[in-house]
Amino acid sequence: MAGATQVLPRTMPRPAAWRRRGVRRAVTFYLLISPWLLGFVVLSAVPLVGAFLMSFTNYDGLNLDYVRFVGTDNYLRALGDSDAQYALGRTLLLMAVVVPVGLVLQLVLALMVNQPIRFSNVFRTIFYLPYVVPVVAGVWIWKIFVDPTGGLLNALLGVVLPDVNVRWLVEYPTAVLAVLTIWGAAGGGMVVFLAGLQGIPAEYREAAMIDGASRAQVTRYITLPLLTPVIFFNLVTGIIVALQILVQPMLLSPGILGLSPGTVPPRDNYLYVVHAYIEIFTKQLFGYGSALLWVLFAVVLGLTVLLFKTSRRWVFYGVEP
Amino acid sequence: MRWTTTYGPVLIAATLFALPLFWVLVTSLKKQSEYGSALFPAEPQWLNYELAVALADFAHFAANSLFLSGAYAFLAVLVSALVGYGFARHEGPGRNKLFVLVLATWMVPNLVLFVPQFVMFARLGLTNTYWPWILWGLGGSPFAIFLFRQFFASFPRELDDAAEVDGAGPLRIFLQIYLPNAGPALAASAIFMFLWVWGDWLYPALLLHQDNTTLAVRMANAYADPHGNPLQTVTMAGVVLYILPLIAFFAFAQRFIVRGIVTTGIKG
Repeated sequence: MAGATQVLPRTMPRPAAWRRRGVRRAVTFYLLISPWLLGFVVLSAVPLVGAFLMSFTNYDGLNLDYVRFVGTDNYLRALGDSDAQYALGRTLLLMAVVVPVGLVLQLVLALMVNQPIRFSNVFRTIFYLPYVVPVVAGVWIWKIFVDPTGGLLNALLGVVLPDVNVRWLVEYPTAVLAVLTIWGAAGGGMVVFLAGLQGIPAEYREAAMIDGASRAQVTRYITLPLLTPVIFFNLVTGIIVALQILVQPMLLSPGILGLSPGTVPPRDNYLYVVHAYIEIFTKQLFGYGSALLWVLFAVVLGLTVLLFKTSRRWVFYGVEP
Repeated sequence: MRWTTTYGPVLIAATLFALPLFWVLVTSLKKQSEYGSALFPAEPQWLNYELAVALADFAHFAANSLFLSGAYAFLAVLVSALVGYGFARHEGPGRNKLFVLVLATWMVPNLVLFVPQFVMFARLGLTNTYWPWILWGLGGSPFAIFLFRQFFASFPRELDDAAEVDGAGPLRIFLQIYLPNAGPALAASAIFMFLWVWGDWLYPALLLHQDNTTLAVRMANAYADPHGNPLQTVTMAGVVLYILPLIAFFAFAQRFIVRGIVTTGIKG
């Protein structure tokens, strides 16, 4: 059918009509995507160019009269900013914990609920729910859970260790943040792993079983290699998300009452984007803050490219199921 | 033996995942005097829920959230479906490069894009209004465009050909053939778009003021008694009310979402 329409112009060469038809098709295509294209220009392209230019100025977010170009000053300052370096270190540390632990957990959860067990739908929902719990609620849930006064965690620990009184948000804020992040992201990754698992034809596993492979061997030598593209996808998205964590540490500050846009998290949870956010919205340093964010973008991009390069060694793209 | 190796780990994991949520429920039913002194409430205090609604102008902020989330989800889904259909079924110069751009905007760190947008909205006098969300919706969402493009690419082309023979234009083909048959993709993307605005704290906190803001911003502040002492129990009742509609919805729509993700292979 499609072939016939393509052959037709060749047997009856009418270049003018053919070209007109091509133009009409192009116009239709561009009309259909025009809302996105317009939105892209106005809401992405122009702001991004603006943000890039802004990072070379002293813009304070208010007064355009005092704006002047400061060259690469902001970037040089970012390189020497000890707060930024400290924050980047904390961010990389959090990422180094949250991404691998989260990835393994997501995979294990997916393998568990992919088994033919009773109530697997109930278990899937339980693991998935934290992923759809809004960030404000998620922070409250863990704040109350680890609260020294009315929290369950210290009460449970108190069964084993009497008189335990850990002030988690003051003494171990990064541990709470890590648990909150892993708990909140697990369901999203699990569902992607589930989709990957269901894409593996059952015959492969059955054939290996017939040849005498154990359950562990099937997982190790059949399932895992075939899942590497999904592992790779979850790894890349996990890193991109982990490097940009902002709202959770701000809302997780120990005070019980006020959670305002100006809250500064405890020093341990002072992450890189939090630093950029404070420079921009609290200190009104839009130019400098933009430079900080572009540096982060470069880090994210660099890590992603690096991962794609290594992926050729361990990601298995061989079989089209 | 087999029972313990299969169900043991799943049950332990499920307990650990649900425990914090369970604790919020328990806390929301305590008397404030029981907070910190009793593990479980002597009698469930449903009054906390009434207080949570009455003390915070809950209905007002819930209505704001509902309107903003609904309007954004409706616009973004409709526009993204149209654009996804364009990318899946129509050709034009630069189509593949433009599609790479769609995915590229998805990868740019949120704040990198938001800071200049914030400056722009402030300059145009659009802060303290709902216009930013309407504009975001009208521009479509990269995630949803990708989802619809993948979804529509699997439709049989014969349908278009038949409709074209009958004289239907691209818009009519989209509205009468593609849209009505996009149930799972529509549901999955609408839920994620809605959820994004309902759960977002940062953008309303920065763009709106405390009267026209969303429930997320309101819920970030604890409830307090007239002396300024925090009422953890009432706050937890508010949190439960804030997330209950979502949980009910997901328990109901879970199979839809898993199917929508399986067909496209992506997450939100």
